[in-house]
Amino acid sequence: MKGQLFGVRHLSPAAAHHLRQALDRARPELVLVEGPSDLNEQMPWLCHPETRFPVAILAYTKAPPVRTILYPFAVYSPEIQAILWAHEHKVPCRFMDLPSGVFLALAQVQPEEAEEESGDTTEAVYRRLETLTGEDHDTFWERHFEQTAGSYQDACNAFGQQLRLTAADDELQTAETLVREAYMKRAICQAVAEGVPEEKIFCVCGAFHVEGLRENAPMTDEEEAALPCLDCAATLMPYSYYRLSSRSGYGAGNKAPAYFELAWEALQSGSLENAAYLYLTRLAKAHRKAGNLVSSAEVIEAMRLSQVLCRLRGSPYPALQDLRDASVATMGHGSFSELAVAAADTEIGKKIGYLPEGVNRTSVQEDFYRQLKALRLEKFRSAEAQRLDLDLREKLNVRSAGAALIDLHRSFFLHRLRVLGIHFATPLPSRQEGANWGEYWETRWTPEAEIEIVESALMGDTIEGAAAFALKERADGSSRIQEAAAIFHDAFLCGMPAAASHALTVLQSLSVDAAALAEVAETASRLSLVARYSDLRRFDHKPILPLLHQLYLRACLTLEDACICDSKAALAVTDAMDKLNALQLNHDFLEEDRWLELLSTVSDRDDLNTRCSGFAMAILLERGKADEALLAREVSRRLSPGVPAELGAGWFEGLAGKNRYALIARLSLWRHLDSYLSTLDETDFRRALVFLRRAFADFSPTEKNDIAENLGEIWGVDASQAAELLMRDTTAEEKEILDGLDEFDFDDI
Amino acid sequence: MSTNVQRLPAEELYQRELEALISAEHDAVPTGWRLSPRSVLIYLTGGETVKGVEITPKYMGNRRLVEIAIATLVTDRALLLIGEPGTAKSWLSEHLAAAINGDSTKVVQGTAGTTEEQIRYSWNYAMLIAKGPSPEAMVKSPVYRAMETGTIARVEEISRCASEVQDALISILSEKRLSVPELGMEVPAQKGFSVIATANTRDKGVNDMSAALKRRFNIVVLPTPADMATEMEIVRTRVAQLSAGLDLFAAQPDEDTVEKVVTIFRELRFGATLDGKQKLKTTSGVLSTAEAISLLANSMALAGSFGSGSISASDLAAALQGAVIKDEEKDKVSWKEYLENVMKKRGSAWLPLYRACRELG
Repeated sequence: MKGQLFGVRHLSPAAAHHLRQALDRARPELVLVEGPSDLNEQMPWLCHPETRFPVAILAYTKAPPVRTILYPFAVYSPEIQAILWAHEHKVPCRFMDLPSGVFLALAQVQPEEAEEESGDTTEAVYRRLETLTGEDHDTFWERHFEQTAGSYQDACNAFGQQLRLTAADDELQTAETLVREAYMKRAICQAVAEGVPEEKIFCVCGAFHVEGLRENAPMTDEEEAALPCLDCAATLMPYSYYRLSSRSGYGAGNKAPAYFELAWEALQSGSLENAAYLYLTRLAKAHRKAGNLVSSAEVIEAMRLSQVLCRLRGSPYPALQDLRDASVATMGHGSFSELAVAAADTEIGKKIGYLPEGVNRTSVQEDFYRQLKALRLEKFRSAEAQRLDLDLREKLNVRSAGAALIDLHRSFFLHRLRVLGIHFATPLPSRQEGANWGEYWETRWTPEAEIEIVESALMGDTIEGAAAFALKERADGSSRIQEAAAIFHDAFLCGMPAAASHALTVLQSLSVDAAALAEVAETASRLSLVARYSDLRRFDHKPILPLLHQLYLRACLTLEDACICDSKAALAVTDAMDKLNALQLNHDFLEEDRWLELLSTVSDRDDLNTRCSGFAMAILLERGKADEALLAREVSRRLSPGVPAELGAGWFEGLAGKNRYALIARLSLWRHLDSYLSTLDETDFRRALVFLRRAFADFSPTEKNDIAENLGEIWGVDASQAAELLMRDTTAEEKEILDGLDEFDFDDI
Repeated sequence: MSTNVQRLPAEELYQRELEALISAEHDAVPTGWRLSPRSVLIYLTGGETVKGVEITPKYMGNRRLVEIAIATLVTDRALLLIGEPGTAKSWLSEHLAAAINGDSTKVVQGTAGTTEEQIRYSWNYAMLIAKGPSPEAMVKSPVYRAMETGTIARVEEISRCASEVQDALISILSEKRLSVPELGMEVPAQKGFSVIATANTRDKGVNDMSAALKRRFNIVVLPTPADMATEMEIVRTRVAQLSAGLDLFAAQPDEDTVEKVVTIFRELRFGATLDGKQKLKTTSGVLSTAEAISLLANSMALAGSFGSGSISASDLAAALQGAVIKDEEKDKVSWKEYLENVMKKRGSAWLPLYRACRELG
């Protein structure tokens, strides 16, 4: 072909620079750029004067499973500079690669062969280069291509050609490459047919394809008709340097976008060498800003060192690696970690793209802005963090029905964003215990959120639709009832009954083979919360009740067995017991008799973990279902001389786990404890002491004081004297005895 | 060259390699240097054959670090090598000086007793009293001689020196001249003069280096060997070199023995088994690569003098215990735990070593 073929590397400043010069020389009448040919309508937006790079074109299939391809562009992308050049010189410009629908369809056929062209081979070649040169491939590329003066195109084409030979072994890849090249060639031929002289066509493509475009035949009409294609849509979205740097792989990103922009600026200013000066001064500035001392002398030394380092490697200017190593040896005092923050700032940067108002938005974006307006939340869309306090109750003093519940709808909206992972508003913890009508948010708008909104377009056409899809995905993927319950709760907060009922179905089916007692209790109490406050959110709670009952029943049936456990697991069991107790108290329809009966069984049985038994007793006491006589009987049984001290003390610990005031008030209990302790012999006493100390450890000083009063009464001591004795610091002598306890040998227990 | 010298300086030991590199030189050589920076790099990292002479690798770590070190000296900045004990700081500094100047002997050993005179100059007092101050009565320090000749002086363990001694270096490094008020003269440093200092990270607290001094150095931190293979390679080569000079009458340790020693050292050093699955107690000693080397040489000596001539499990066990247990109580516990929890469970290949270690304990 007679037209110009310019081989480039994606995201390469030098390519962009040389490309512009080549365009100036060639003065073409048509510029063709490698990129999906169905995305031409996005081009005007790329050239819009208000557009700030980086931006990306996202193409996605309309039908699930959603597949996407992303084309990120930075200001130094050769493709972008070609498009901009064409725009500036009023020359027509088009994308010429396979339409995105075909790409997506091909990706579906070979999932592993996804987005990137020649990805695997390129990676393999890079790995080899890395072993050969001892440097990473970005540095290799920088030294040998970015810094070559003049002959960039030849170097790049040679590289592409060699890469082609290596890639020829991979049949699948070669096949895809051939199809693409045939299509691109066809695009060129079409342009010629339209009357553009062939030598006035300028093609920008990956260096890899140059030879293919030169040699291969164009695709025929039949072949083109046979291409698989998926129905897809595309949108422009702002992109960020951070995202660009976190994606690896050829074409998808590069590690140091801010540095490459520096190099681009330096090239524009006429000398690539400037990039080194810019880098080092910016690094020093960022490092100073982070609160460190950097003298100009150190920056100068870093510059000198980097120049020698690059000469050792045979490159004319310092590469990023040289600059970084030199900075570490001088400003960083030998360790990169000192410079890490400043380096991230200088190499990656915080730059985020911007698209002008009116750029065609995805329907989700439209929906987002519509709702933002309808809910009067627009003023919260600012970079500054703001507080938003919501009162979910219906306001009776307003006129329209919409205004009465505006806060509730705001809450739904914000929760839906949260479920979609859009970082616009974060919920703050409630300030007021039990005030369920209050909700507190902190809002902050970042361009990252805009990106996240665009990404959620893959899940649906509206915020609600996308949230429903996300919740359904999560629900279908959940494997434990706790997860399903959390999803249900989210759906409830989002005000989405359909999603909630789906989560409930999943929860139900999971609960059949579930689960540990603790999980069941946790899930039940979550559901109970929803059931109790459903009115506030206008949510029909009736579907929950059968499941709640089911879970309650299951918990009751498994509780007894769960109480056969060691002291570590007992904590989880008592925790679950507490939750179940609250559950039963909150919902009348859960049979009380069953619960009480169960508690007395657990309390009575002495082959269970004594802590659990003690806790069951504590609940019975609290609910007034155990009288003084029963307690007295239990205390003397549990704390009788024959019982091993640790079992007795464990029981007491359980008993003290709840409702302490009632416990402290019962003088008879302390009398029993006193008499029990006095029956113990020296060794048993020591043992019991260890456990009792633990049981009393988390009593508050007031509570201890009350106990002291009780004991004083029993022993006939003045209460204040007893308290003084208990509250004062331990003496040295006592300390010695206590230390002795610490060495207590538990092996024989 | 005497063959009975216990340890030859690097430039004599590797004279053949250096001469080959000098004769094959085709790059620009900086003033005061004998080789171009690129040839110095080849001398240090090895792996090439120059004029029929194979260049052995001297530093087997990150090649980039060596490049930074050489580049620093090209820019006439002073170089500071920092690292754990046994990370080849002095080794690298000696070979750098040997390659650049053919003379690695201008050394100041930093100790708590190092005085300012040892950095600058002192006097031959008999002559001073007899004839008064004169250039002949002056005893020049290695740094002084390096300045005069435009070569490299080495300061070992700089962080052990008192701060006034470190300060004496500051003026030399920034002014690049040394004044002798007694004779009313100033000695300017010739082109090519530089200083390579080494400092130990474990000694940080002894005499922390002042910011002013640090600022005059480019600092390169030498890491412990990055992976098992590199460390084994280092140990194998160095043991071979050492034993050749020491007449140990024992066979070289086989691959398996080296692997075991390096495994044990790495695991105890990083406080975890190689697969990362099990956490271990670390020991108070550094367990550097240099120690692993001397440990193997030590076991070779044991085997050669009192054993079968090749390293047996019991030779290794004794040496291992000596290397690992530095602080009696704590290290003994760590070592015992390591024996029982890790070594014992490694199967039959490790069994003889495990038994031998346990018998000693």
